[in-house]
Amino acid sequence: MSEAQAAAEPRKGVARNWLGWFRRPGRSLTRRLVWLAAIWMLLALVLTGWGLTSLFRESALRRLGVTLNETIDQAVLAATATPEGVTVGPILDQRTLNIYSGKYWAVAEPAPNDRLRTLARSRSLWDTDLTAPADLPPLLARAGGETISYNAVGPAGEPLRVAASMKQLPGREAPVVFLAGIDRSAVDADTRQFATVTWVALLILGAVLVAAVLVQVQIGLRPLYGLRNEIAAVRKGRKARIERDYPVEIQPLAEQVNRLLDHNQEVVERQRTHVGNLAHALKTPISVMLAEAGTTEGPLPEMVRRQTKVMQGQVDHHLRRARAAARAAHGLGERTPVAEVIDELAVMLERVFERRNVEIDWRAPDELGFLGERQDLQEILGNLIENACIWCKRRVRVSAGPSGLGQMIAVVEDDGPGLPEDQRETVLKRGARLDESAPGSGLGLSIVDELVRAYGGRLTLGQSDLGGLKATLELPAAER
Amino acid sequence: MRVLLVEDDVDLSRQLKGALSDAGYAVDHAADGEEAHYLGDTEPYDVIVLDLGLPKIDGVSVLERWRREGRTTPVLILTARGAWSDKVSGFDAGADDYLTKPFHTEELLARLRALLRRSAGHAAATLTCGALRLDPRAARASVDGEPLRLTSLEYRLLHYMMMHQGRVISRTELVEHLYDQDFDRDSNTIEVFVGRLRKKIGSDRIETVRGLGYRLAPLAGEEAA
Repeated sequence: MSEAQAAAEPRKGVARNWLGWFRRPGRSLTRRLVWLAAIWMLLALVLTGWGLTSLFRESALRRLGVTLNETIDQAVLAATATPEGVTVGPILDQRTLNIYSGKYWAVAEPAPNDRLRTLARSRSLWDTDLTAPADLPPLLARAGGETISYNAVGPAGEPLRVAASMKQLPGREAPVVFLAGIDRSAVDADTRQFATVTWVALLILGAVLVAAVLVQVQIGLRPLYGLRNEIAAVRKGRKARIERDYPVEIQPLAEQVNRLLDHNQEVVERQRTHVGNLAHALKTPISVMLAEAGTTEGPLPEMVRRQTKVMQGQVDHHLRRARAAARAAHGLGERTPVAEVIDELAVMLERVFERRNVEIDWRAPDELGFLGERQDLQEILGNLIENACIWCKRRVRVSAGPSGLGQMIAVVEDDGPGLPEDQRETVLKRGARLDESAPGSGLGLSIVDELVRAYGGRLTLGQSDLGGLKATLELPAAER
Repeated sequence: MRVLLVEDDVDLSRQLKGALSDAGYAVDHAADGEEAHYLGDTEPYDVIVLDLGLPKIDGVSVLERWRREGRTTPVLILTARGAWSDKVSGFDAGADDYLTKPFHTEELLARLRALLRRSAGHAAATLTCGALRLDPRAARASVDGEPLRLTSLEYRLLHYMMMHQGRVISRTELVEHLYDQDFDRDSNTIEVFVGRLRKKIGSDRIETVRGLGYRLAPLAGEEAA
């Protein structure tokens, strides 16, 4: 790529962006409104400017015309027809006497081939003629005595306004043409100045109007921005619903969003209740069968025990999946205080494991919020901390804190035996139980893993410096 | 030992009743919330096994009523839902332990033994500081009779401060008594725990003495212990 090409490249990019902004105003309401307003304003301003300057020019020329007519009238009064031609008596106008003064008159007669032959002229013309367009005589003949005005160049090279009129003189049969000319440069300068002032004023007016339209559009669309921010706040968990009042045009939209939020919440609730009921309905009979089969020995009780355990595993797995599915629609508008949930669980689990003097040392900032449902955070941390309590010698450490934008981290550690690296993967798989004799219903880690994934988070297992297992959670955090 | 078994499933009730009798308990059985509440309110049980999903009145409401009426009998709750929110609300209502169905009968018996051992401790000399009471034997504390929900570290801190109430205790001294080993002895540990304790017992009870430490004292108007 040559240097010139390289230099041209960014400029092309800018031009394309700018064109894009221009071409697709439909993508932005602001652009659409501003562009439409700007286009019709441009049209209106151009028409106004053009109208004003022409009007000014017309009226200035009309004033010159009056002067020219007076000069022609004076010349007509002072003119007498003679056999040789026409003589014009003295006209007491100083400017027509001074050479090249800028004010002239002449008397001429139509010559063959449509030209004019001068019969008499003002002193100011000296020996030059007032120039005339080639087709003037026939035009004058057709005009029947009316004055015809045109622009010409004077003897000193100045711009002239010339008026011509065909008159009949007593004592002469052929008509004569009276011409009067006057310097037009002052009028031209005035017109130009007026035009400049007008266009500048209109340009400023246009700019002010576009700015006003921009401001108006911004103010007009502000409720939309407000609604957008509120919806974002709901999504990020800072608000539960759309609360502000909006103009009648978008209030229905806000109401529909709220209805959608309610509906989501309702679906999740219904699903959860349903799952809970099913769990209750199935688990008690399984309990009974397990206990009953455990009281006697023999092939039949043995088979029942085995099959019941399989049933139990299946029920657990499918209930968990149903719960996770109910959560798929979640995530809108919930902010759960993390410290509160950890405190509740710590107090409760220390009491449950009191006979082993388990000590749960937890740290979490008060303002930390989990972006999701309280029940789910209880489920995630409850299982992890319970698991740590089951395996620890005495100490369990829980710490949580923010990590980056919209993210939080929670770590649960214990001083128990820990897990060898090759087993860490397997415990996260469904239904895996490494030690059947351990109290509680398995490690519960796979439940946690499924839930955390449903929130787009991550559960990793490692080695704690306390000696035991270290479970690290990455979860979405709610903004304050 | 008298135990009240509250369970609406006929088969499970029969099994548990048998197992409990075999273990030497005198068992009463209630199949719905109303009956359970009546029995628990009128008979002096040593321990209660309470299923949460009950007809008429649910288990959590029954438990709340007992606790409101001043019944302190230890209660173990049985839950089939297994959701932590159910367990937490059970504890908030005043439960002492929980078991998730399905469970092994031996596990239930072990838990009951532990509950009975814990409650058997005779009321030892309690520490008081104004409306604040602490029972070292049961490791429980309360304000105005309302039980406090403290973690063991918070409890230990409060215990030490109550034993030395009225005196300014330095951070170093507190951290040494909070942890038995050299773990986590960073400088703001004590601030964190004092902050949490203040939230639970009322912020005015612990006074910060600048540069020296903390002092626990009864509120103005409360009687000094």
